[in-house]
Amino acid sequence: MSPIRIAGGTVYDPANGIDGEVRDVCIDAGSIVADVPRSAVTIDARGMAVMPGGVDIHSHVASGSVNLARRLTPDEHDRDPAPAPDLLDTFSRSGTGGTVPSTFTTGYRYAGLGYTTVFDAAVAPLTARLSHAEFDDTPIVDGGFFVLMGNDEYLLRLIGSGEREQAREYAAWLLGAAGGYAIKIVNPGGIDGWKRGDRGPFAGLDAPLGSSRVTPRAILETLVDAGNALRLPHAAHIHCNNLGAAGNVETTLASMRAVEGRRAHFTHLQFHAYGSDANGIRQSGARELIEYVNAHPEVSGDVGQVMFGPATTLTADGPVEYLLHKSTGRKWVNVDIELETGCGIVPFNYREKAAVSALQWVVGLELFLLSSDPWRVVLSTDHPNGGSFMAYPELIRLLMDRTYRDDRLKAVNQTLLTGSAMADGISREYTLSEIAIVTRAGPARLLGLKNKGHLGVGADADVTVYVPDKGGDWSRMFSTPRYVVKGGELVVEEGQLRRAPAGRRLHVRPDYDTAIQRDLRTFFDRFGTVSFDNYPVGALRDAPSRLG
Amino acid sequence: MTPPRAADERLTESATCLGCGCACDDITVVTSGDRIVEARNACTLGTSWFGDGRVPAVVRIAGRDAAVDAALDEAARLLMRAQRPLVYLGPDISCETQREGVAIADVLCAALDSVTSSGAMSSLLAAQERGRASATLGQVKNFADVIVFWGVDPSLRYPRYASRYAPDPAGLGTPAGRGSRTVIAVDIDDSRGPADADVRVSLTAGEEVATLTALGAIVSGPARLAAASGGPWARADELAPALLAGSYVTVVADAEQPAGLPGGDPGRAAALIALTQALNGPTRCALSLLRAGGNRSGADAVTTWQTGYPAGVDFARGYPLYRPHDGAAARLSRRHVDGALVLGSVALIPADIVSSLARVPCAVIGPRASESPLAGCDALIDTGVAGIHEGGSAIRMDDVPLPLRPSVTGPRSAADVVRGLRERVAGR
Repeated sequence: MSPIRIAGGTVYDPANGIDGEVRDVCIDAGSIVADVPRSAVTIDARGMAVMPGGVDIHSHVASGSVNLARRLTPDEHDRDPAPAPDLLDTFSRSGTGGTVPSTFTTGYRYAGLGYTTVFDAAVAPLTARLSHAEFDDTPIVDGGFFVLMGNDEYLLRLIGSGEREQAREYAAWLLGAAGGYAIKIVNPGGIDGWKRGDRGPFAGLDAPLGSSRVTPRAILETLVDAGNALRLPHAAHIHCNNLGAAGNVETTLASMRAVEGRRAHFTHLQFHAYGSDANGIRQSGARELIEYVNAHPEVSGDVGQVMFGPATTLTADGPVEYLLHKSTGRKWVNVDIELETGCGIVPFNYREKAAVSALQWVVGLELFLLSSDPWRVVLSTDHPNGGSFMAYPELIRLLMDRTYRDDRLKAVNQTLLTGSAMADGISREYTLSEIAIVTRAGPARLLGLKNKGHLGVGADADVTVYVPDKGGDWSRMFSTPRYVVKGGELVVEEGQLRRAPAGRRLHVRPDYDTAIQRDLRTFFDRFGTVSFDNYPVGALRDAPSRLG
Repeated sequence: MTPPRAADERLTESATCLGCGCACDDITVVTSGDRIVEARNACTLGTSWFGDGRVPAVVRIAGRDAAVDAALDEAARLLMRAQRPLVYLGPDISCETQREGVAIADVLCAALDSVTSSGAMSSLLAAQERGRASATLGQVKNFADVIVFWGVDPSLRYPRYASRYAPDPAGLGTPAGRGSRTVIAVDIDDSRGPADADVRVSLTAGEEVATLTALGAIVSGPARLAAASGGPWARADELAPALLAGSYVTVVADAEQPAGLPGGDPGRAAALIALTQALNGPTRCALSLLRAGGNRSGADAVTTWQTGYPAGVDFARGYPLYRPHDGAAARLSRRHVDGALVLGSVALIPADIVSSLARVPCAVIGPRASESPLAGCDALIDTGVAGIHEGGSAIRMDDVPLPLRPSVTGPRSAADVVRGLRERVAGR
């Protein structure tokens, strides 16, 4: 790895207060440094925008569930073959794309957009070994995943018996056993209910699950507190109850209030921001939700924007996918994952002319445009749920270009848009600095990645160089970076992918009270099907991240 | 626990058995020197899969003893010379070896297939068409209160399914184990369900799909079309209340359908999926598909994450194309293979494929290759068996990954050997 000087570019490094200054960025031995010798490789970045590498805080790219989604979509793969790129120093791999690309193609395509770090947001610890194997075959990007805990039988038992400290120790053990990075909560308690046969509507945060004393509120409190007490780099990552339902913004707000004052991340807010009018008709609840987020600095979120076109909905929230299957008649995968969680998959197509799709698209944009703090409301499409990560450049254009956005808005189904902020007109346009925040600096900060998302001395040398489009098309600019540096290696040169080094694994291994293992082993022996000793993934090649 | 019987006995605990797709990971393997003397907890099938742990360690080029490097060079030459190469993933290799195998197929622009194509393809194709309602085996263990064995008695080819997963063990929602469950046996001609079933229904193979379809219609609701005519409708009418009485129904069927159509009857696979999906609504339901041993599910998973397709892949154009109906068997039978790489246990590969492979230039890397019908092939390297001589990971029939714990030292690791071959064909 030779030293590199990215010379004369216009630098957007919001974490260090740099907003469009012309300066050099120097790289040596995988890190940003103050200076490099004259002999360093020099990239002439004059007239180009230089940003840290992109950081995806919420995606689905490496898990047993993702792989089932891949298997379910051969037609998409047929339509999007991905020949092996022409790399300089390693042999490269072909693959297939679509909304759930094969692993190598996923790595190449993320890097091809200037993204260098990606988190898979939903991994059942039982299948964590698969996630690591898939990440091993996903080149270039550094990767990690969040561990599903909000419907874990053992955890619910501890909560039910009031043993919240034990629950925290168990969460710590589980993170290390899976090699995960953060605590994930999906539809707290609701998946457990689905697996036990409950099919009623959501009954509120204080409705006990079955015959137990456990409530969604208790699960939220316990796991949010656990994440904070364990000083995990990322807060508990929460997918609220009641996803997709008309009027669910009330549930989302109640969930936020349940952990008020405590650091918590609420994911794919768009899917949780629907109001309903007097007749129960779905409408935007974005304004109400974002006003709460704006006023509460301890809360963060990612948007989960819907983009028109094909998607694959894929979630641990099994009951939601059941409803989607029933209402659309589309093919449907459900996997009830023992003692831990669920998995549902339904391929979908968001159409401009469909009223609900149009509303979802509008709600997501409203969340972005009404957010007062880009550091806390960051970009995602919940890939591949709201659309592919490949749609990020188009999303950036929608945020940066009001004229374009308004034109698109005119073309969508207006049925459910009455009274929405977008229909009333929002003039805001994101600046390049704000885009740098919502796509790299913000997610990196929320993830506690101290060496990512910025270009200060000592940061990981993950850098992307974009060429502004002459016609002012932001989508074109962000689709094809001219240069991408990952970990100090030039992976994209002159717009071509040329190197594909392995990415690093980001994970935590918090200490825990080993006394919990005795009872846990008994539970495994009685109710599990995998030996307790075979459950942890074991040592990983990369060292665990430090705790806060 | 029994104490070791001799001073040099060693125990390997929590070993995973790949004798069938149950992948029981509670085996204690007792070894003495380089021999396995006991596989505790293993069933008869598992015991014979572990054997005494001794495997040949032969390396040959065209029938003559050779060094590993020379055999790998020869294998690479043979594959790189081929215009229509084939990489075939057989049983008894780890996911790590499978990953290298797919990489070789990619680099060579080869056809890639696995033993899945000959057994379970109809299930995979039906699931690609419709999805599927399923569960990991622990969900079945803990919650299935109605279990339907559809034309299969797992005690024959999946001996510990009943005792480890269902219906025997007690679970969270099934505290009395077998006593908490209703077991329904559906006999289809000679494919009979378990002898101790609580309810038994007999069908002919000709009635099977029609009965499944009728059941699906009945449980789906308003259409009380039943009794429209006899035959399937009558059987379905008899079965439907028993299914609907369950709070969590599991239908167990064998995905490995070697007889008849290659990969089984597509209509049957689709009808099983449709019924088990339809039962979600009136109750909850999962389809538990049985898969044979040797990490077959691993081959499907690895091939899927690397290519987007589970088996039957063709890289001829420089990227993966799905050719599920033109897999190894079809290509070999019409002589569209002029160089093959076989990974895994030849003894577990269907005979028609093995006999065709014997007619083409072929390299074999896997356990007991030198004792197989392909022993005279162009390049042959005996390796250990994944899970006995080498570690790595494997995937259970329900897509749950497990570590492999080697208990004895084998000739050489298949993963290392295949990596060596990949480095040769990839040129770097």
